[in-house]
Amino acid sequence: MAALTGIIKGLIFALIGFIFGGGIGFLLINAAGRSGTNEPVIALGYLFALIGWLFGAGLWDAWGREWVGLPARKLEVNGWKRYFRFCTNHKVIGVQYLVTFVFLFLFAGLLAMLMRTELIAPGQTIMGPNTYNTTMSLHGIIMIAVAVATIMGAFANFFLPILIGAEDVAFPRVNALSFWLLPPVVILLLLTPLFGGFDTGWTAYPPLSVINATGSLFFLMAFITFGISSILGGLNFITTVITQRASGMTWGRLPIFAWGIFTASMISLTATSFVAVGLIQVVLDRVAGTSFFNASQGGNPLLYEHIFWFYSHPAVYIMILPGFGIILEVITHFSRKPLFAYKWVVGSFFFIVFLGFIVWAHHLNTSGMSDYLYIPFMVTTELISIPTGVVFLSALGTMWLGRLWLRPPMLFALGYLFNFLIGGVTGIFNADVPTDIHLHDTYFIVAHFHYTMMGGVIFALMAGIYYWFPKLTGRMYNETLAKVHFWWMFIMFNVTFIPMFWLGINGMNRRVFDYPEALGGVNMFVSIAAFLLGASFLVFLTNMVYSWLRGPVAEANPWRARTLEWQISSPPPEENFPEPPQVVGDPYGYGIPGSVHAVLNPAGSALNTGGG
Amino acid sequence: MSKQFFIVVILWIVLTAAGEALVIALTPFLLPSRAALEGQIVDDAFRTLMMLAVPVLAFVVAMLIYSVLRFRRRGEPTQDGPAMRSHGPFIAGWMLVSTALTIVMIVHPGITGMNALRAQAGKDVDLVVQVEGSRWNWKITYPQHKVISRTELVLPVDGHIRFEVSSTDVLHAFWIPSFRMKIDAVPGMMTTIYATPSKTGSFSSDHKIRLQCAEACGILHDKMMVPVRVLEQKEFETWLSQQVKVD
Repeated sequence: MAALTGIIKGLIFALIGFIFGGGIGFLLINAAGRSGTNEPVIALGYLFALIGWLFGAGLWDAWGREWVGLPARKLEVNGWKRYFRFCTNHKVIGVQYLVTFVFLFLFAGLLAMLMRTELIAPGQTIMGPNTYNTTMSLHGIIMIAVAVATIMGAFANFFLPILIGAEDVAFPRVNALSFWLLPPVVILLLLTPLFGGFDTGWTAYPPLSVINATGSLFFLMAFITFGISSILGGLNFITTVITQRASGMTWGRLPIFAWGIFTASMISLTATSFVAVGLIQVVLDRVAGTSFFNASQGGNPLLYEHIFWFYSHPAVYIMILPGFGIILEVITHFSRKPLFAYKWVVGSFFFIVFLGFIVWAHHLNTSGMSDYLYIPFMVTTELISIPTGVVFLSALGTMWLGRLWLRPPMLFALGYLFNFLIGGVTGIFNADVPTDIHLHDTYFIVAHFHYTMMGGVIFALMAGIYYWFPKLTGRMYNETLAKVHFWWMFIMFNVTFIPMFWLGINGMNRRVFDYPEALGGVNMFVSIAAFLLGASFLVFLTNMVYSWLRGPVAEANPWRARTLEWQISSPPPEENFPEPPQVVGDPYGYGIPGSVHAVLNPAGSALNTGGG
Repeated sequence: MSKQFFIVVILWIVLTAAGEALVIALTPFLLPSRAALEGQIVDDAFRTLMMLAVPVLAFVVAMLIYSVLRFRRRGEPTQDGPAMRSHGPFIAGWMLVSTALTIVMIVHPGITGMNALRAQAGKDVDLVVQVEGSRWNWKITYPQHKVISRTELVLPVDGHIRFEVSSTDVLHAFWIPSFRMKIDAVPGMMTTIYATPSKTGSFSSDHKIRLQCAEACGILHDKMMVPVRVLEQKEFETWLSQQVKVD
């Protein structure tokens, strides 16, 4: 039971909070003379339930007590039980994120299987339109969360401090808070079907998101909560990189994955508040009867689209930049060559952050916004292909004349390059206004963003999992199963999504429960391919679960890689480094005789690293 | 140029030629039937972008294929590759070409396509059609003729038409796939889009000749569709005269 005391206490406090907040909501409705809605009760109830949950789950013991002059309680549990508690160790939090989000990924993948089952033939197949819309919207928002938070939450938490030679992140308790904000998000999303579902997709465009079923309120509150978690995470990683680098870890020696996390965190810290405000305004329109987006009372639905995409396009790069980091990290170690054009890549990451903020209106190419906005946003959007190209320049330059070692992480990195290339090139068709007028809101868009999100981010995630699994778990996975997974997933991914481009061009709009009969054949093909794609994850899951429990013990550095995490035991010791390491060179000194990245015990014997 | 890079260049030329041939051969099958002049501008832009994309795709794929085949090691590599961190001419060439390509794409088909669409939109309007979306149907008004239709959108061929699009409740979007034209229907404001039907035809023979809602609007979003029928001018006038006049 010791494992669950935090969770149980959190739930009890949440219930008390809900009754308190809901009561206030109930009184407010009556005092205001409003009737016919219970949403203020739910919204205020949730607000206080969320606070109750956080304090009960551990925030009070670990932190709150200090605010009133009491000593904080140290968490006394060890071993596997820590993973269920409010634990501030970055490696524990990394594993909490990883396991949570891999399960969410598989769950949202199952939702995709349900969608493709419904779409396998014209007309109704297995569910009604409202169920379909809710399934589609849930798939969307959960996968967005997976893309935003899995690499950041799992790998940045676990490996960023180690990569820069630190003991932990800058704010360990904020870090735990970021994670414990997530269970309410998951619970809210799972509750949506019981309250009529929601049919807006993940974009929550009003007025639809204001007038639809109460399920939409749950979704909006979940999204806002997730946003808070994301802001805190961004703040933490930025501070960590700035303040926690080991002696000698200059900016020019920072591993490229750390740069990816640093730049992505700049976006999550600064942009997320915009979407949170937009969503809160939608909630207020629903709950309090305000009219931010209600045209009949002077509100403006188009305004929401601007606010939403002012966050949500930069957010794309919160997902992409850490993925770039993993891919380049893997390619350099598995080509046994220094990362090519390192400074150009770092510069490009910053350029992407900057450009990412000034391209949002390409999502509004058919929105009816002012005519003179089209060309400026087309220009900024297409400029992004230059810094993105630099990532390819670096990857190809690194592999050139290298000694390629085609282990599973490298295979996924190569698959990523191909998929992301298709995703990038098809993005031009959406940036170009004339073509986008036709392609906007069709399956062409669906295919395009799955090429960048699944073919890109998820392939990067898989590369990361297969790269760091031995370090995370101390065990090795089955190589053959991993390669089977790669080829199966890579081939079926392309077979599934290529035909969707054709569907979109040929008149299939997105977010539809049904489509013209003439598109039935291709849709059936796509559905069957999607089932086979989904099945590839059974291979992945089997390999992961079995290997984590029973796999052979991993060596400290199975890849003979040079970055710091590979110079300590697998899994890493509690404090990462027995004493602070001294960084003396850059992490990618392959091919340079005698090159050293770091000295692990500067005071002691000359046990250096990365000489191999 | 090293011999190895020379092989990549040959591979790139071969892949590019094959890719361009494929684009030329497949475009007619890829692009759906077209029934409006404006669609020509969209399709031309689409084809140009495909032609521009091929050499880019081909270069990356050529580099990937060559590198994997030539530089892979069976088993664990016993030594490191050369410590090559940079290569001035390659980086300079890459940056120049990618910047130049981006500027080309922005100018053509981007800005030229936009200007072509604006020029087309600026032509004299022969017919105004008001299209009003509400969940989950379209109300089509011909204000010059005092005619309202809720079951189909009938248009004259070769007439330059301004669609005035609006919504009474949530966001919708006006989309006729065979016209390639789309614009959102936004509550509280009127949006406009122009189209010039270029051939007669109807939904009954081609599903792409339909007015489809393209912005998620709830349960019957996919069913929010009316068939489109493009008639000869004479037939269109006959159709108008058969409709009940409203004031």
